[in-house]
Amino acid sequence: MNSHSQFKNYSVDHFFDEMFIDNEGENPRPHYERIFKRLDSLTESEISERRQQADTSFLEHGITFTVYGEEGGTERIFPFDPIPRVIPESEWSVIERGLRQRIIALNLFLNDIYHEGKIIKDGIIPEEIVRSSKNFRPEMIGFDPPQEVYAHICGTDLIRDDQGNYLVLEDNARCPSGASYLLENREIIKRTFPQTFGGMSVRPVEVYPDLLLRTLEHLSPRKSQKPVCVLLTPGVHNSAYFEHTFLARQMGIEIVEGKDLITIDSFVYMRTTRGLVQVDVIYRRLDDEFLDPLVFRKDSMLGVSGLMDAYLRGHVALANAVGTGVSDDKVTYAYVPEMIKYYLDEDAILQNVPTYLCWRESDRSHVLENLENLVVKAANESGGYGMLIGNQSTAKEREEFARLITSNPREYIAQPIISLSRHPTFCEEGIAGRHVDLRPFILYGEDVEIVPGGLTRVALRKGSLVVNSSQGGGSKDTWVLKDF
Amino acid sequence: MLSRVADNLYWMSRYIERAEGMARMIQVNQSLALEYADNDEQLKEFWQPVLKSICIDEVHLEEVGGRKIGKTLIFSEAYGNSIRSSIYMARENARMVRDQLSEELWLELNNIYLFFRDGGAEELYEQGSDHLLDRISRFSLVFQGLSDATIPHGEGWRFLTLGKYLERTDQTSRMLDTLNFRNKAPSRSDLMSVLRCCIALSAFRQQFRGNLSLQNVANFLLFSEDFPRSIRFCIRTIDHSLHTISGSPSGTFYNEAERLTGSALAMVNFTNLEQVMEKGLHETLDELQTNLIEIGQRVFETYVLLPSEIKSLGESDAAQLAQAQQQQ
Repeated sequence: MNSHSQFKNYSVDHFFDEMFIDNEGENPRPHYERIFKRLDSLTESEISERRQQADTSFLEHGITFTVYGEEGGTERIFPFDPIPRVIPESEWSVIERGLRQRIIALNLFLNDIYHEGKIIKDGIIPEEIVRSSKNFRPEMIGFDPPQEVYAHICGTDLIRDDQGNYLVLEDNARCPSGASYLLENREIIKRTFPQTFGGMSVRPVEVYPDLLLRTLEHLSPRKSQKPVCVLLTPGVHNSAYFEHTFLARQMGIEIVEGKDLITIDSFVYMRTTRGLVQVDVIYRRLDDEFLDPLVFRKDSMLGVSGLMDAYLRGHVALANAVGTGVSDDKVTYAYVPEMIKYYLDEDAILQNVPTYLCWRESDRSHVLENLENLVVKAANESGGYGMLIGNQSTAKEREEFARLITSNPREYIAQPIISLSRHPTFCEEGIAGRHVDLRPFILYGEDVEIVPGGLTRVALRKGSLVVNSSQGGGSKDTWVLKDF
Repeated sequence: MLSRVADNLYWMSRYIERAEGMARMIQVNQSLALEYADNDEQLKEFWQPVLKSICIDEVHLEEVGGRKIGKTLIFSEAYGNSIRSSIYMARENARMVRDQLSEELWLELNNIYLFFRDGGAEELYEQGSDHLLDRISRFSLVFQGLSDATIPHGEGWRFLTLGKYLERTDQTSRMLDTLNFRNKAPSRSDLMSVLRCCIALSAFRQQFRGNLSLQNVANFLLFSEDFPRSIRFCIRTIDHSLHTISGSPSGTFYNEAERLTGSALAMVNFTNLEQVMEKGLHETLDELQTNLIEIGQRVFETYVLLPSEIKSLGESDAAQLAQAQQQQ
């Protein structure tokens, strides 16, 4: 290896490295060879310059998200790392089958628990677990959503353990975000690294908005005409607002806020300069609780009064359906492999991370005794909030979590600390290994469709396992390579 | 088009026009102030009529002091009509209607916003306030050029035009009105500065040669047929935009906004300067400004509120709501 190499100080350490087979960062895996050579031929300042270009471009185009907690929320760019993550087609096709199997099972589960509850009667999953989920919506019992599908858009987070096995970390079956970054990252990488990208048979992703629109249109209760679909956003102060405008624009549908919609005689209309226009399908990026102040939170200024009534009468479709949150509850998650077996009579293709459920007494005592070696998570939080990483925690934090677990065991789960795979990433000290995960986006309309790859998120802070944008995470373009 | 989108486009456009007007107003008056005054008291006296015309009370001037007034009008976050506030509001409105804007348009606006947010504007101001004020005017002009050149001239564009011209009418009338607030008859410099504020100096000279008088300046800024900042020209454009949006034939009206605009248009079309002077220039302008505010409110009621909401809110509440939208 030459002494100018970008990788001269690179060390794989004891982690599974996405790019390198061996320890010293000398032998790339076959599907990374071209990228490795290309990176190695660039100087540090050339890479740095390109990254700068990318950052500036994100900022100027307003591709930002909002961080809460600080005064009034701050707009930031989602840091972009220019070294792409590569997945060979052979691996991807397994992931794809696994995700497909999973979303079908999750939807059968949702349909079941809001109807007969066979899975409960057959003793696979306890009724109180389902009923006590924060996002179980009794309003949905007995209701048949269009096409009997609940979760039309699902973002499932995958990680790889130290052997490189793909594991499911969680499902996001409410309002998963990140698809816009997946699309923008691809655009940026084509502009900043055209030579590297060219000639690599990377499977394209730009079809996502079209697939999403088709998924939405498929749900329309009015079949006679072109359906009126809208994207319902909580508004400009929401952290994912950029994504909302981005997707609406790509699909060519209106982006609306609650105040733009009105219900009359159980139908939903949007207010336009030419009067009211009936709405058929709402891609809502607003949580259940805020949808309709008449049914859920009374103080919600973001929703539409009477929306649930129109929905339950079948006059308007919602994607996702109301009440899908019960399927991405982290306690329910632990049962997904059993669901797959129960509904499909298949073994799960993608494995779960082993999970301790604190409501089970035996699990709980194990968790409380081993907090230092576990990751504890609140069952209904997301975005990296409400989480304890045992080996990086202080005694005080562990005490706090022990107290939380004991007082509300149903709401907590624990998992072994998985050493997430690492990926060469451009950092202050040059190229270094950083932990990554992968969020593919699964669409379930007429059929299940998954754009190749997904959003690779990277924990930019050294040693950090938390990839969420709100916690110092960044992202990478993800390439599925046809010929590997 | 969504009602809210129309409203956002309208306000985005208004705020940008407002920032531009403010930039030129500050620039012209700062340079004029050099002739008038060299101590803080004199400066306050100088700025007072200008500030009165844009509805800032004297208390504010006391707090800020004469020397810093320009900087305050540019950067103050507390003052809702400062250039910074206008740019932030324009960008906030634009963020809500990204799908209606071309990428070029968004980039231009977002760049000036980042320039203010990240301190670039202050740096440039320290190098010379004219550099900054020029940059703001240029931004607005580029933005207008891009809106004409890069987005469809459909309904959304009409709302942009509507916002721009309502704001512009307001500004021209306020600038003209400053001449009424001086204790003495306006000097040649006063007249020149008003024309400069409206970028009207060379156009005025073409029509009136060097004949600079209050009458001629008022005549030009009120009644010019073809100068794009004269009040006649602006109200014609507003009238035309409203009729294009609703599809009603010109000369008739489908809604209150159209009726009020029609009547303002009749005033500027069929009044001459003698009548204006007889009534009083200030009185005429004051009435016009009241009219403009009402037109803005009626546009809001017609295109943003539902008929049932106007009825249930009552008229004064609807007016307040329009006001609240403006401050959003």
